[in-house]
Amino acid sequence: MKKSLLILFVLFISFILMGSAKKPKPGIFIKHLKNGHFQLIVNKKPYVVKGVCYNPIPIGKNHEYDWWSDPAKPWIADGKLMQEMGINTVRFYNPGPNPETVRQVIRDLYNMYGIRTIMGHWLGFWEFPCPLYGDKPFQDKIRKEVIEMVALYKDEPGILFWTLGNENNYSCLGQVHPWSNDEIDKEPDLQKQRAMRGRIYYSFVNDIAKEIHKIDYNHPVALGNGELIGLEWAKEASTDIDLVACIIYRGKTFGNLFKSLKATFDVPIVLSEAGADAYDAFLKKEDQNMQAFFLEAQWRQIYDNLANNKEGEGNCLGGIIFEWSDEWWKHNDPDAQGWLVHDTESNWTNGSYYFDIKAPGNMNMNEEWFGLVALSADEKEAGIEKRILRKSYYVLREFWKDPVKAEKKAKEAANLKRNKTNKKK
Amino acid sequence: MKKYTLRTCLAVSILFLLFNCFSFAQEDNTLAGISNKVIESVDPVELSAAFEQIKELYFKDNRYIEMPEFIKSLGQKKKGLEAYVSYYTALSVFKHLKYLEETQKWDEYFSDGDNYRDQIDEELNKVMQVTSPKELLNIQSQLLLYEFHKGDQDRVTDQTLSDLVKSVTEYAQSTNDYKIIKDIADKLVGLGEKNKSKELYRIYINKITDSDIKDEELTGIAKEFFADGNLELSEAVYDKYIERIEKTLPKEELVSILIKIVKIFAYKDEGYKDSVYAEKTFKKIEEYGGKDIFDEELLYMRAFNLEKSREYKDAVNVYGELVERFPESPRIDQSLYKIGMLSAYGNRDIDKAREYFEKLASKDIVNPWIVSGLYQLGLLSQWQENTAKAKEYYDKLLEKAKYGFVEMAELAKGRLAEIDDVKPLDYNLKTFIDLSLKNENANFNMSKSELKSSLYSPKKEQELNVSSAAYLAESGCMQAAVQYLWSGNTGKKKPTIEEPGFTTSYAEEGTKEINLVIVASSGILDRNFDLVDAE
Repeated sequence: MKKSLLILFVLFISFILMGSAKKPKPGIFIKHLKNGHFQLIVNKKPYVVKGVCYNPIPIGKNHEYDWWSDPAKPWIADGKLMQEMGINTVRFYNPGPNPETVRQVIRDLYNMYGIRTIMGHWLGFWEFPCPLYGDKPFQDKIRKEVIEMVALYKDEPGILFWTLGNENNYSCLGQVHPWSNDEIDKEPDLQKQRAMRGRIYYSFVNDIAKEIHKIDYNHPVALGNGELIGLEWAKEASTDIDLVACIIYRGKTFGNLFKSLKATFDVPIVLSEAGADAYDAFLKKEDQNMQAFFLEAQWRQIYDNLANNKEGEGNCLGGIIFEWSDEWWKHNDPDAQGWLVHDTESNWTNGSYYFDIKAPGNMNMNEEWFGLVALSADEKEAGIEKRILRKSYYVLREFWKDPVKAEKKAKEAANLKRNKTNKKK
Repeated sequence: MKKYTLRTCLAVSILFLLFNCFSFAQEDNTLAGISNKVIESVDPVELSAAFEQIKELYFKDNRYIEMPEFIKSLGQKKKGLEAYVSYYTALSVFKHLKYLEETQKWDEYFSDGDNYRDQIDEELNKVMQVTSPKELLNIQSQLLLYEFHKGDQDRVTDQTLSDLVKSVTEYAQSTNDYKIIKDIADKLVGLGEKNKSKELYRIYINKITDSDIKDEELTGIAKEFFADGNLELSEAVYDKYIERIEKTLPKEELVSILIKIVKIFAYKDEGYKDSVYAEKTFKKIEEYGGKDIFDEELLYMRAFNLEKSREYKDAVNVYGELVERFPESPRIDQSLYKIGMLSAYGNRDIDKAREYFEKLASKDIVNPWIVSGLYQLGLLSQWQENTAKAKEYYDKLLEKAKYGFVEMAELAKGRLAEIDDVKPLDYNLKTFIDLSLKNENANFNMSKSELKSSLYSPKKEQELNVSSAAYLAESGCMQAAVQYLWSGNTGKKKPTIEEPGFTTSYAEEGTKEINLVIVASSGILDRNFDLVDAE
């Protein structure tokens, strides 16, 4: 009897202890601070994403090339340069076809250089003829792909977080990759059609985020988005995402981006693509200064808006520069001969990059010239095209070394000047 | 042979060495001469000139980093040169940093850059300490300080800029050297500081207009600005000039000068123009001279200027005035036609358009505008599904066009074939007219697109470029697919739906309409039209 009572007592105590024990904090999570700011925490320490989009397509190949399986392992040489620059994160838009090589890349970058991986998924954006987000079978297919991806890589220590989609929200506006369904087709009002598409898309992303959280407790899930467009729908429909990963090309200043986000959808943000090209389409020549000018200005603002900075909104977790190396295939993908040429023709226009906006037709953005490093067509090193470091590489290296010092120095100079200027007056 | 070659090589080398020695000796002599000038001179203008000479000598070979040593040696030889030594040291270090940037010598740029920056800051601050804004060197130093901080994008940039503007304002009060104010304003324009440069330009203009400068000189300055493409400044000087002559000249003389000014700014294919400023001046002419002062040429110029600035209602009124006052004008039929076109496709007033096209159609003579008027009447009837009436107009057109007007005849024949084959009106054309004239399409008001021609008064067979731009919703770095539905009279080129622009020419005289509807994947974006007068 006594023995039975003892067993019951032990069971009771164990039950109490189990019930009261808190679930341990995930390895990587976003902390909402008392002042309303957000901070990414990795292994109990704040982590600022100093990232770069990584897609090392060699000269003469295009996006179909499986660089993950490249025997020359470009990420080994690139990772070293990245580490020396201060980069701590790489972003992949989608994993490669072979899980073994993908794992190897994630591990090499993390084990050798401490560089973490943001793994993304296109969410079927490039499916032909269009991503059918309004169709259940399409949704199921994509959901399955994403969950498989998470299951494959969630235990890799190098994983930082997941990003769902890229600029897929533009398809809701109907300008690019437009899609519809019967219900949307019945609606005559274009604005209402857009809102219907927005709600469908963001609910779908939210469902995936919920499922990821069920199988992976340790990593946040980001909603990939072009600008802040459509986030008013996401606010209602995507309540389970942890952060937004926005693609922002606004030139020198992000303007009211951080404030706007706070007002429309109060979640943290990582700038999942920002940067500038290094080619002046007006003067028709490489311009490293122009690229460095924009990048430095952008990073100052990213730092202004990190947590606990009084001058910003405190909702920024960092940024990802587009991109590590130039990609020579991008201008005219169907033309294989063009992959061997560093094209200088522009594909799109953006007035915020004002130095070369007077280029013909205002086409000033040179998609093949966004790299922090250029590729040498003549020289190889370690089996890959030699990397030629652009000015931006050095500028951001110096900035990241001590961003506070840079700002402090400027302020000191201002004070000194105010005290000294025109004493003779 | 070998010996001979060796001797030649030796001789060339010796010559080369001698030449170099000679060059160095020559430069040493030049530097010594300038040094003497610096040591002996007491006049700040002479001193500045001497330092500028030294600068030229070192900068021409990019020897920026060597110059400070030399000028410091001068400072040791003579007292009172501190400000010059500091300014030119800062300038040469600044130039050296720029040079490293241009030549992409990133290792030195990033390893020594901070030291260079500290040095620039320090030297310029020294200049500030020993000079006042009444001295040119102080202003130059502030300009350099601003340029330096702007390049570095640091937080003092704005402060240095407002300090500079403040100091130049102060400097302007104590000097008659107005040119330096303009030079600094020009420099600020070059550095992308349009707003601040305007402040300095205003000071400059006030200075010169408040001085006893003669009217001819003032208009000369305005013309110079115009020739440089600095229209804003040119207009500001003209405004001051007009203010002056409004008080002094009799009305007739004043009006005659205003007419000269309006001719400078009114729309024309070649050179600079500002249609808005031109219309402002036209209004002044009317104010002082009344409506009667406008002769036929001036009225047409005003109407055309308004048409090109897309002020269609006002343009129609002025063309109307021309028609009323000068019924015998050679421009009369062109004006009637334009009233019709602008009323229909600019102002959505089909009744007024018909009224004016009918005025043309009722004439017994033949010219390009009468033929085009008939075409428009046929087109509007066809669009309103009155095919019998349309056929009547087209037949009349073909009758009148039998001795020429091939372009218009071809268009009319195409329309007649549609009627005869019981086919709908050409899709592009019908879509354009639907959007232009149906009330429910009033939101397609040409605000989301742009359409322009490189020439509006081309000669026959002269090439012109027609271009369009669509203002689409954001689509990031993905270019949205857009289709261009061209219609009207596009000359010898028939652009496809993929072409946002084209090069064309016209074989016959007349006013040619170019119509465009832009379609994005989300539906119709906008419509637009333009008129080209082939002469």
